[in-house]
Amino acid sequence: MKPVFAVMYREYLIRRTSLTWMFFDVMVPLLYLLMFGVAFDRALGASFMIDGNAIRYNAFFLAGVIAMTCFGNAVNQSYGFFIDRDNGIFYEHLTYPLTRGELLLGKILFQGMMTVVQASVTLIAGVVILGVEIRLAMIPFILAGAVLGTAGWFFCMASATFLIRRNDTFNMVINASYFILMFISSLFYPTDQLPAWLKIPSMVNPLTWLTNVLRYLTIGTGSFNEIALQSAAFCAFLMASFFLAQRMIRKATE
Amino acid sequence: MNESIIEVQNLAKTYHKRGHTPVHALKGISFSVQKGQIFGLLGPNGAGKSTTIKILTTLIVPTSGKAAVCGHDVVAQSTDVRKQICAVIQDNALEIYLSVRNNFKTFGKFHGISAKEIDRRTDRLCELFGLREYLNESGIDLSGGLKRRVQVAKMFLIDKPVVFLDEATTGMDTFNKRTTLNAIREESHKGRTILLTTHLLDEAEILCDAVTIINHGSILAQGNIEEVKSMGLQLYTVSMTCQSDPAAWRRWIEQCAPVSIEQSENSFIVTVATEDQALDMIQRARAAGVFQYFEISRTSLEDTFIELIDKKTERKA
Repeated sequence: MKPVFAVMYREYLIRRTSLTWMFFDVMVPLLYLLMFGVAFDRALGASFMIDGNAIRYNAFFLAGVIAMTCFGNAVNQSYGFFIDRDNGIFYEHLTYPLTRGELLLGKILFQGMMTVVQASVTLIAGVVILGVEIRLAMIPFILAGAVLGTAGWFFCMASATFLIRRNDTFNMVINASYFILMFISSLFYPTDQLPAWLKIPSMVNPLTWLTNVLRYLTIGTGSFNEIALQSAAFCAFLMASFFLAQRMIRKATE
Repeated sequence: MNESIIEVQNLAKTYHKRGHTPVHALKGISFSVQKGQIFGLLGPNGAGKSTTIKILTTLIVPTSGKAAVCGHDVVAQSTDVRKQICAVIQDNALEIYLSVRNNFKTFGKFHGISAKEIDRRTDRLCELFGLREYLNESGIDLSGGLKRRVQVAKMFLIDKPVVFLDEATTGMDTFNKRTTLNAIREESHKGRTILLTTHLLDEAEILCDAVTIINHGSILAQGNIEEVKSMGLQLYTVSMTCQSDPAAWRRWIEQCAPVSIEQSENSFIVTVATEDQALDMIQRARAAGVFQYFEISRTSLEDTFIELIDKKTERKA
């Protein structure tokens, strides 16, 4: 584990140099929840129906915000590869006594810790400020789910950073993907009422799987079997992304 | 008995890029580096030096052939190889958001050194490389030469048996270059094996125990400095400065049938084919009493290098 801790230590030292960066990391999901969430909650009132139950939008959107946090964190961490590559340090890291997998794991474990802080702040704000009733016993699972969610997206995007050499192209690809993935997922709204051409792609969207799992854990929507299947699908996505990212690192050095 | 630390056998690397002709960066090179040796890999730009270092430091995999560092195969046992090496890669590599001190700290942590030991060694490196006043500066604020200095200094923070230095002194001023060369020599005396690439052949000549000259992915010459030099024409250079009438003296030099004459005002650098010819010229110049200065020297590594590269180019043409 020593090499993994060394990567985490390095990430910590870098993050410590910018308190503004750290502040926004923590605050952005919270602002999303408090501004976007509250506005929609007021607009929709208690008329949001899921599984025949009226649910307030704030409660529904809480899992969406945590899923967004995972995605955002994954983008931030994977973008670091561009900075490291431009500074040459990425190539030097690859000559250090650690495996490519350990390098990726160290980065995601650090970012996972950031996700835990962000998700905790978001959950506290949801409960204390917005009065959302969450399943308190599920909090450790929510946080673990958020970490795994960040990992899945990070490995996926890391593969993209190793394939795409230009950071402006990467930004364009990620922005377009984020836009599409967000709106064909259950992040902002339930997908069962979507038209078929949106509903079918949303069912194979890992962001839908992640959001649904987190929503089940926070407010208990969805059936256990369905959620178990989606958890398994997301874990498969995570593992596939991890193996792909390890392979793609080689592409970056050729 | 000599112990081979780096073994390279028929190493080849071809880069494929969609829509482009494949580039054969290495065409089956072989060499070995002994323990404690300073080994120079020399060649012009695009010769294949950095590709060789990238393969040996496990950054890329070869297309064919074998390479081993400390007995570990660079492809099959890449992590074991990385445990035995440290490398200054060609690009500037620095944690730009971290201070110089934290650059040392992270590098030390990656190589499993305790925080206390890192601090102790950092102190020694600051002294050696004149980095004390920059210790709290961020990497982003350092000049190119300083960044390189920190990058090279890091290699001396740890005790890995094999050090790869790809154009390590690029961008350094004379003082730091000398410090770096001294540090390299000192480390080699401690038994560390150093493989370096450089464009600066005088640097290679004073530093390296053995060299390999490569061009277009093939080896042109290898051996110790004297052996490699002997692969050239073994010409002699006579440098002379006359007091007056350089035109008359040029005519006189021309009668001595030199290989080439370079003239700058009243100074001449004359290349001759044999030692006898050089001595004869010096004797006659001394007898004439008009030369203020004269010196005789053998072909430098640089002369041999240029000659070998030229020969290869001619053959290709």
